[in-house]
Amino acid sequence: MVTKEEIMKIAILSKLFVADDEIDKLTEDMGEIILFADTINNAADEGSDFDNINNLSNVLREDEVVPSLEREKILQNAKDSDNGCFLVKNIMK
Amino acid sequence: MKYELVAGFETHVELATNTKIFCSCTTEFGGEPNTHCCPICIGLPGTLPKLNKKVVEYAIRAGLATNCHIAEISKMDRKNYCYPDLPKAYQISQYDKPLCEHGYIQLSNGRKIRILRIHIEEDAGKLVHRRGDTLVDYNRGGVPLIEIVTEPDFRSVDEAREYVEKLQTIMRYIGVSDCKMQEGSMRCDVNISVRPEGSDVLGTRTEIKNMNSIAFIAKAMEYEYGRQVDLIESGEKVIQETLRYDDVSNTTSSMRGKEDANDYRYFRDPDLVTINVPRSLVEEIKESLPELPEAKKERYINELGLPESDALLLTKYRKIAEYYEKAIEGTKNPKTAANFIIGQIFRTVETESEKEQFNVSVSAENLNELIKLLDDGKIKMNLAKSTLEKMLETGGKATELIDESDMGGLDEATLNDLCKQAVDSNPKAVSDYLAGKEKAVKAMVGFVMKNSRGKADPALAEQTIIKMITG
Repeated sequence: MVTKEEIMKIAILSKLFVADDEIDKLTEDMGEIILFADTINNAADEGSDFDNINNLSNVLREDEVVPSLEREKILQNAKDSDNGCFLVKNIMK
Repeated sequence: MKYELVAGFETHVELATNTKIFCSCTTEFGGEPNTHCCPICIGLPGTLPKLNKKVVEYAIRAGLATNCHIAEISKMDRKNYCYPDLPKAYQISQYDKPLCEHGYIQLSNGRKIRILRIHIEEDAGKLVHRRGDTLVDYNRGGVPLIEIVTEPDFRSVDEAREYVEKLQTIMRYIGVSDCKMQEGSMRCDVNISVRPEGSDVLGTRTEIKNMNSIAFIAKAMEYEYGRQVDLIESGEKVIQETLRYDDVSNTTSSMRGKEDANDYRYFRDPDLVTINVPRSLVEEIKESLPELPEAKKERYINELGLPESDALLLTKYRKIAEYYEKAIEGTKNPKTAANFIIGQIFRTVETESEKEQFNVSVSAENLNELIKLLDDGKIKMNLAKSTLEKMLETGGKATELIDESDMGGLDEATLNDLCKQAVDSNPKAVSDYLAGKEKAVKAMVGFVMKNSRGKADPALAEQTIIKMITG
């Protein structure tokens, strides 16, 4: 089962704001989603090719340059930026 | 006890396509940070990657040029790891169905370095670490790479050096990459272990990451070999870990702790469909490959009669080989052209990129013309050499720089006259020569050459002078 603590942790990791009164509902929903996903364990998978379920192949692009997006737009959702770069907390010790 | 070095290479080569691997942003090097980006290559949710056709073609070219088998069916996988240089928290790469497998590159000592696989993948962004934070530029993110993985077949640093040079030459020849190590378009990871000589069990290996110069690779391998031997000799164990090489201190240091051993949780990328490689495409690409450097070198040695050292120098860069082949077209002595290029023209190219471009002031056609004048006996070697110097200075044609009167060398009377002058005006050289200093004659030959403006045949002048003095 999914716990409230797990939901809150996932919310923080996903950088989502979750109001207190939403937590119970989300916990319940997430539990159901995971239960549903578990049904796949009962599916017979012998002889099935899950690797290429849509039978498509070779969807390819020509090597032609299209102008990139303006930098303001690229950085628009960045939490922080500096000198045209995304700014993140140091990952090296 | 003696220890044997065992090493394997993983080489990343940036492909020279116009656009990135999964989107149409430019792959141009440099540019203001984050100006070569779009929603796909910065990994925004809801975007769909679409594979660049050229990337598949270039990878197949690379595979064929290194004797690989080209897969009929290939696919893309996600390699999961969390680091800010990857906006999606996974890199799209290939896991169990790479495009090319089981090739080899042959070294000059006859040993074959087996290539396990060549797969395609996207490059990561660039990070600049500052105190407390990190700047991220995704211009490089999504630039197409091939990763060439060898078996642990290297037994010496020299073999490693030759392999990297060969790989670089081949990739440049077939036009898939400029392989500029200093700009990062070719980078090597090396796996190294040691074992007692004669043993066939592999020792514990370490991996040195991301080296971008052949000199560093050699130094890092030597250092790491010594470090591992020291550990074993002193009864300690080599720990399997990823290392970074520091070229300033010439040491390696651990990059990641053991606790975060990698688990990339590879799985198929559901956004990208299967790649089918029809055999007809493989054949077509095979047909389009140029003669490879190794084959060219052999041909220069066997058919043109060049010494191996010349053949090696002339085939290292494709443009130089093309220049040479144009210069010898319809001429009689391929060695003469080789000497002119290696001896005189090479002096005007210094850097790697100058050699790569080989835009020299004497065109191949003009060199060809000069060699034909020699072939036809219209000019002598000395005049040809000095004319080539003038051609290098001025960019002019041989026929414009040589007087009509100079063609056909010097007539006998003029030569005799000049030799007599040489003897008369160099009494010291004459007495030196007569006293047994054979070299003294050279001064007088030099006088003749100078006053005939290179037209005289130096061997004939020497004979004539000696006859005059002794006769």
